[in-house]
Amino acid sequence: MHLLSILGRRVLQILATVLLVAVLVFTLMHMLPGDPAEAILGDRGTTEAIARLHHELGLDRPIPVQFWEFLERIATLDLGESVTMRIPVTQLIADRLPNTLLLTAMAAILALLTAVPLAFLAALREGGWADAIIRGFSQLSLSMPVFYIGLILLITLAAGLRWFPVGGIGNSFMQDLYYLFLPALTLALSLSAILLRNLRSSLIEVLHAEFVGFATAKGLRRRVVLGRHVLRNASISAVTLLGLHVGSLVGGAVITETVFGIPGVGRLMVDSIFSRDYAVVQGLTMVLCVLVSVVFLAVDAFQALLDPRIST
Amino acid sequence: MHRRTFLTVTLLAAMSVPARAATRGGTLVYGRQTDCIYLDPVHTAQNADIWVSLNLYDTLTQPAHDGKSVVPGLAASWEVNQDGKTMTFKLRPNLKFADGSPLTADDVKWSLERAADKATGGEFQFLLASIGGVDAPDDGTVIIRLKRPDPAMLQALATFNAGIVPSKLIMAEPGATLDDKSKSFAQHPVGSGPFTLKSWNRNSEMVLTRNPHYWKSGADGQPLPYLDNVRYVIVPDDATRILKLKAGEIDAAEFIPYSRVAELKADPRLNMVLFPAAQVNYFTLNNRPTLKDGTKNPLNDVRVRQALNHATDKQALIQVVTYGIGTSEQSFMPASTPLSFGNGPLYTYDLNKAKALLAQSDWAKGFEITLYTIAGNADDVAKATALQQMWAPLGVRLKVQQMESATRLAHYNGADFQMLTSLWTNDINDPNEITSLFCYYPTIQNRHSGWDDPVIDKLFMDSQQELDPAKRAAQYKEIQERYFAAAPIIFGYEVPYPVAMAKKVKDFVQIPLGNNIFAGTYLAS
Repeated sequence: MHLLSILGRRVLQILATVLLVAVLVFTLMHMLPGDPAEAILGDRGTTEAIARLHHELGLDRPIPVQFWEFLERIATLDLGESVTMRIPVTQLIADRLPNTLLLTAMAAILALLTAVPLAFLAALREGGWADAIIRGFSQLSLSMPVFYIGLILLITLAAGLRWFPVGGIGNSFMQDLYYLFLPALTLALSLSAILLRNLRSSLIEVLHAEFVGFATAKGLRRRVVLGRHVLRNASISAVTLLGLHVGSLVGGAVITETVFGIPGVGRLMVDSIFSRDYAVVQGLTMVLCVLVSVVFLAVDAFQALLDPRIST
Repeated sequence: MHRRTFLTVTLLAAMSVPARAATRGGTLVYGRQTDCIYLDPVHTAQNADIWVSLNLYDTLTQPAHDGKSVVPGLAASWEVNQDGKTMTFKLRPNLKFADGSPLTADDVKWSLERAADKATGGEFQFLLASIGGVDAPDDGTVIIRLKRPDPAMLQALATFNAGIVPSKLIMAEPGATLDDKSKSFAQHPVGSGPFTLKSWNRNSEMVLTRNPHYWKSGADGQPLPYLDNVRYVIVPDDATRILKLKAGEIDAAEFIPYSRVAELKADPRLNMVLFPAAQVNYFTLNNRPTLKDGTKNPLNDVRVRQALNHATDKQALIQVVTYGIGTSEQSFMPASTPLSFGNGPLYTYDLNKAKALLAQSDWAKGFEITLYTIAGNADDVAKATALQQMWAPLGVRLKVQQMESATRLAHYNGADFQMLTSLWTNDINDPNEITSLFCYYPTIQNRHSGWDDPVIDKLFMDSQQELDPAKRAAQYKEIQERYFAAAPIIFGYEVPYPVAMAKKVKDFVQIPLGNNIFAGTYLAS
């Protein structure tokens, strides 16, 4: 019962956030100079043609009326229609979101798979040459821009060695895994570096903690000490960081999707902002907002599992 | 009734038909920068759609590959009566849409009337605005009645928005209104062009497959096209697109950056082609006496505009921005435009002349101009920095402000700017579109410059119904000379369309308007 009420409260929080974001994104989009009619007609639109298109698109109605309609539609989970592509926004998002989700999920997993063992290695050999190399590597991948890493991987592993396709997307789930490996690796590198640095210092801190010394003195095997006591305690901050960075992973996906030619929501968002496709930008922002909120919820739950003190 | 025959089927011989034997079959994979948005010819407004359109939707007349004339398309021949207001087209026999249903004069009537009507004709309706009505006396004859004689009508009928659609199929689509039906139709379009849409995974790839009912025959006497499929793959990043081409994953790549043309030309496996484009790069100037904020505008003075033009080293711009690929503008309209008039580069670089002109004006001591560029556009950065240096000796300080394109467009439409980097591409092989926007004031105050020449306005109105080609050419010569003298813009340069292809790709054409023509393309074995 207690858990249910916590969950209920969190869902309400998410709904409130989504509503706030809806108001914000609607206001921001309509405050931007330029509108869809102008963007569609480009630099040859006559005043008459712009006015006619305004009318056709319903943009000549008062802003509060348009806003109310927008809210009404959200309430019925209808995200409207793209003014440029003239298809429902839900369909546009449904076609692309799986690609972006798979890309970010693969990137998060790759980041964890690289960060955790390397952080352990570096922490256990603190100050040694392995530590120096690992820290150097993380410094390097943090300082390189995402598009640059992407291009280097494309030139070497794809076009050069032909191990991977040069961008694009596959026709099946298994093919997608193969096509998305390089872009996921690109995205993973900087996240992995952040996680690695954080996890390494937490591990070092925990390794020097009294309870670890006590556990070792108690005669517990090293594997058990490291696994049950050290990693568990050091992971809390790493998991928090990973959760916080999911939002930035989606941001990084915009660049990665462009460099690798992946039809995902990142590119859709950028294109739609440029063409002032209000419905698409608004709809997409809300969907991403819900997703990030859900990830935060999951992170909270996971933290509670790792550290019983948090759930109380 | 006295009749004049403009063109007959004999012109078919003039069409580019390759002499060597073409291989049939295969799929050409073409790397595109941007995907199509909407595939109904009358609602086609973006280049990405326009460039594909003619492959899907055939037209009564077709643009010649050099952009200078038209050749017969769905219409085998046509006649224009003496007052120039009635055009009679004879359709080819047994025309069919890609789904096998017959294409009749009724479809042509329906398509053209929809495209010519302001309420239903979309953004490019103005190209067909002179159409008063269309009659279909029998299945094979189409009569177009014009409100006024229109010398550009044959070219307008070859333009994408005059594409013929199957009226029965559109009307059978779900939806209450014509607009709803069009929306549904555009998801799975059917036309009578050489190809038809097979599949479309937005922002990823679009596959066109050969239309088995296409009327035109190849060099081997069999129906075109040679290719089984054209697969457009969307690769927005220039560097990735080139990598894909080099890795053999795609057969052709468009929008090769100018900086890499020389490198790809040297690649023995590739064919780097620069297709002439009806495209000009120039700078839009606000010519009004005062700017939106009330300050006095030096660009209102013709001597200042001429001085800036003389102080602009076009050759240097061409070197810096296009790596030597561009050519100097000879008129405000692209050289491939019919009736474009040019006597060599305009306002050749002459700093002394520029200084002398400026000294005669009220701005001899120099001034500051603000140039709005598109944020993140490398060409714009190069243009702006080059101009800053070129104009500094005149005492002209160029302030550069980067803007996201839709924001800049709002400034442009509100005439709230002083100077812009600009690019223009023709949509029709006729000077009327660019002229109506650049120098016929009522359309959009001459690209929102505020500059006006009533003599040009009158010449343009006359030229719009002048059927005598020599007289029309003379009118356009005068328009271009007057425009040149007034210098309402900073003249720039023209650039071609750079497309890199694997050596096996033969006879692909991108015409000056940009349309990708795959009808005669084949893959050499």
